Amino acid sequence: MAWDVLIVDDSAVMRQFIRRVAALSGIEVSRYREAGDGFQALAALEAEKANLVLTDLNMPGMDGEEMVRRMRSIEALASIPVIVISTDATASRMNALLALGACGYLQKPFGPEMLLAELQRVMGGPV
Amino acid sequence: MIEIQDPDVLIAALLDSTTSHVLETMFFSTVIGSAPESESDSNPRLRARLSFSGNPSGEFEVETTRAAAHALAAAFLGIDESEVDAQQAEEVAGELANMACGSALSSLGNVECFRLAKPIVTSAPVGTPMLDGVRRGFLLDSGALRVSLRVDFPPA
Repeated sequence: MAWDVLIVDDSAVMRQFIRRVAALSGIEVSRYREAGDGFQALAALEAEKANLVLTDLNMPGMDGEEMVRRMRSIEALASIPVIVISTDATASRMNALLALGACGYLQKPFGPEMLLAELQRVMGGPV
Repeated sequence: MIEIQDPDVLIAALLDSTTSHVLETMFFSTVIGSAPESESDSNPRLRARLSFSGNPSGEFEVETTRAAAHALAAAFLGIDESEVDAQQAEEVAGELANMACGSALSSLGNVECFRLAKPIVTSAPVGTPMLDGVRRGFLLDSGALRVSLRVDFPPA
């Protein structure tokens, strides 16, 4: 399967890094789209769904937590897997995100192997 | 089991391990030795400082030479150093500060929650002291990198 991936992060260099790591992980990606915050991400997804969302948490405008909450309340977007990427890996934050409907959580720093492993865990098998 | 009584000793050890891990994992850069914890040359420098709130709160700062910042940005982005512009070098220095600080705090133990503010990246005139905190210096192929972390633990 080739993935249509939406990367959500307010940092342009971080979005570029995530694309790089995804490529190095061997994941087959048909298209990358990018958004700078949750508002842009929801607009992009409502215009055209994605197979996977990789999102930061702390962003100006709409943050990643609110974006996940809204995605789960919109029927057309509710089933899209979301993996949160953040420096904050305290148990309370991770549990809160998973309870909201995020499927996975990657703590920075992370590399290609960690991204691939988390994606396989979320999808329940090889990707 | 070794019990560490001095929090600064613990923080210094954490900074050593977590900063090295961040550099290796996301910047594909290996620490080849220790660098003096204070500058000893007159190369132009870049600093990224951020505050964090929660329990505990405090501040973190990373400092590199401009040349090292460009090399790190190139490694981070997977492009040639000649393609890195000043804005990218500064943004990547901010990301490094964010990740190194977050990684150290996540490893600190007994940390309930914290929130990192957006890093502020500045040029540091030679001789300007770094943030007053626990300082560590790392030698990379591209030059020296220094970090300083001040943790304000709540009163017992």
